Amino acid sequence: MAQGYLHLSKKLLLIVFTWGSLLVLSGCWDRVEINDLAIVLAAGIDKTEDDQIELTVQLAIPNQMGGGQQQGSGSGGQGEKPTLTKQATGTTISEAASILQQKVPRRIFWGHNTVIVFGKELAEGGIREYVEFFAHHPEPRLRSFVFVSEERASALLEVIPYLEQSSSQFARELARFQIGLRVTLKDLLESISGGARAVALPGLEYEYENVKEKKGGLNINGTAVFKEDKMEGYLDDRLTRGLLWIRNEVHLATVSFTPENADGYMSFKLLRSNTQLHPEIKDGKWKMTLAITTEDDIEENQTDLVLTDPKIIAELEEQLAAKIDERIEETLSTVQKEMKADVLGFAKSFEQKYPDEWEQVKDRWEEKFAEVEIEVVSKAYIRRLGMSTQPQGIPEEEMKEE
Amino acid sequence: METGKISASQMAFMMYPVVIATGIVIIPSITANYAAQDMWLSPILASLMGVLVIFIALKLHQLYPGHTIIEYSVSIIGKVPGKLLGFIYLYFYLLMNAGGTRIYADFVTGAFFKETPLFVILSTIMLVSSFAVRGGIEVVGRSAEMIVPFYVIILTILCFLLVADLNPKNIFPILSDGLMPSIKGAYTPQSWFAEFFLIAFLLPYVKDIQKAGKWSMISLGAVLLGFLATNLSLLFLFGGELTERFNYPLLDAVRYISIAEFIQHLESLVMAIWVAGTFVKLAVVHFALVIGTAQWLNLSDYKPLVFPLGFLTVLVSIWGISSEMESAHYSGTIFPSFSLVVQTIIPLLLLVIAILRKKHH
Repeated sequence: MAQGYLHLSKKLLLIVFTWGSLLVLSGCWDRVEINDLAIVLAAGIDKTEDDQIELTVQLAIPNQMGGGQQQGSGSGGQGEKPTLTKQATGTTISEAASILQQKVPRRIFWGHNTVIVFGKELAEGGIREYVEFFAHHPEPRLRSFVFVSEERASALLEVIPYLEQSSSQFARELARFQIGLRVTLKDLLESISGGARAVALPGLEYEYENVKEKKGGLNINGTAVFKEDKMEGYLDDRLTRGLLWIRNEVHLATVSFTPENADGYMSFKLLRSNTQLHPEIKDGKWKMTLAITTEDDIEENQTDLVLTDPKIIAELEEQLAAKIDERIEETLSTVQKEMKADVLGFAKSFEQKYPDEWEQVKDRWEEKFAEVEIEVVSKAYIRRLGMSTQPQGIPEEEMKEE
Repeated sequence: METGKISASQMAFMMYPVVIATGIVIIPSITANYAAQDMWLSPILASLMGVLVIFIALKLHQLYPGHTIIEYSVSIIGKVPGKLLGFIYLYFYLLMNAGGTRIYADFVTGAFFKETPLFVILSTIMLVSSFAVRGGIEVVGRSAEMIVPFYVIILTILCFLLVADLNPKNIFPILSDGLMPSIKGAYTPQSWFAEFFLIAFLLPYVKDIQKAGKWSMISLGAVLLGFLATNLSLLFLFGGELTERFNYPLLDAVRYISIAEFIQHLESLVMAIWVAGTFVKLAVVHFALVIGTAQWLNLSDYKPLVFPLGFLTVLVSIWGISSEMESAHYSGTIFPSFSLVVQTIIPLLLLVIAILRKKHH
């Protein structure tokens, strides 16, 4: 009898324990509901007049996010924005963030931040101190894209873009195309602490279509070149293209030129390109050979050349390679001779092949870099003609066949 | 005492997470600190230590079949010194398990559950492991057999998902400063590999003892592959320079995964294998501690010791270590030396004495 009672109480205890643990198993102290979160989509960092920093965050407004696809027509109605920007100033980013928290009724959450924008003014004074936060805090991701904005980063994040839901998404999509540089936080950390002592970040600018509603678009424009962690100069779009070829990051490219012995332009669309750096040290002379191989399609033919002729194609291939060379040389002379900033990956390349020699020059790499002799060897292959073999809209007898 | 039996393959499954569970999360950073771009060589060098201790443990067990080190140390060097040595082993494994739980809990609180008290995280995992140990070695063996395959599969998938972002050129220059940096980088991992000495507590319960050597080596090989895969992935992704600056580089690497902006935010998988792996690790080490203590005290049953010793482990890991930094410092400096003495040098001496004595008789 007594044993049966014991058995029963033991059973009861077990039931209470199992069901009781269900209550706590769902999560404990760190339970956070999604509607208690203010999700940061992009962060902008600017300098204030009294040498503090101004942190701008773009926050998602979840119930506007869903309907954002059909802008203007959905329940959100016209003028309802899917994002919200908030600012706060402080001496450090985490201080600014905690001040910001006072104005936002939900917990600021960095886990979905994909874009970090530095204002130019701040970039000129050095960015190292401010990058640190994003690598240190457990929430932000190393895959965030980093940009430099000519204007204040806060103004850029306030743009309500067309086509995309938020300027953060707009910037991210642009970066993914790799028309300009694409630098993630991981890449930045790698190069800022690397031997080259130079960093390149893509520039980002905006353009209003409707100033009152702040509607507009963003634009990846050029490259900001940093020495150590301070912004030194700016490469325009054209030079940036050359930089992409050298860094083996070019993905979308169209090259147009007028072929010899012909009128009008021809445009070539890049299929794939591969750039290899071959460092060489001979008798104390440092030399870098850039071996570039590209494959292209002909996309537009304004000339009277008939493209089925292999001889013509061979000539075009040569001219195309020369054209690419020319662009690269232009970038090289600016980056190497004028700026003396190794954003080309030469330092790493030399270090990997000649670790001992590298050890000797690494403290004065800046001047050594300017002395490195560079040879560009490029080869272009034209693979396909597109849908027309002969120029369209020209009478048969005027076509040029060799 | 323990009447359950495990198979040699189960023992291999049990030993895998003992080494790798805490190893892959905190070791790459320590190794990269010394070896930089040669960090992938360090686990290979360190695994030699694993081969050595497995050999010692098997040989000792051959001389004293059916006995653990707590028992045969008395037979080898006499009652009082043997008991003293037994106490050192129990003390070592208590500290090791406390250190392991602390690494686990610091990672969980530091990276995910910031506001959850450490004590809760520590005691919940210890409680679960203690239940497994109380169920006997067969329960521990079977849960290892169930969990470890998932562990390996998830780890492999994570490494593969990183492939698109890897830059194999980061491996150069190879051995630019000679072999010394890699050897220094191997000093901490060698103590993790030396944990294979725990088989000295498991061998008496292995059914097919003739296969124990083969399966131990398979387990060691799998651990080495796991270390190589993670170290190379990290090196190719971040380079040696950046890897050393992260606290948990593997977590950062997995958070970097983004395939078509669709397969991303996978850190919950790291968390899943982290919890599962640590559970097995703690259970195996705790089993060794408990069974060893029971033998040391000549008890007839080990089960009453499971929860008290589990509680003691939790207390040591809270009171013994004041911060994450202290824990990392301990793992990087004191523990490897401690382990070298207790898990390698003393067993080697024991083996030599045992062989000499057997010859003498």
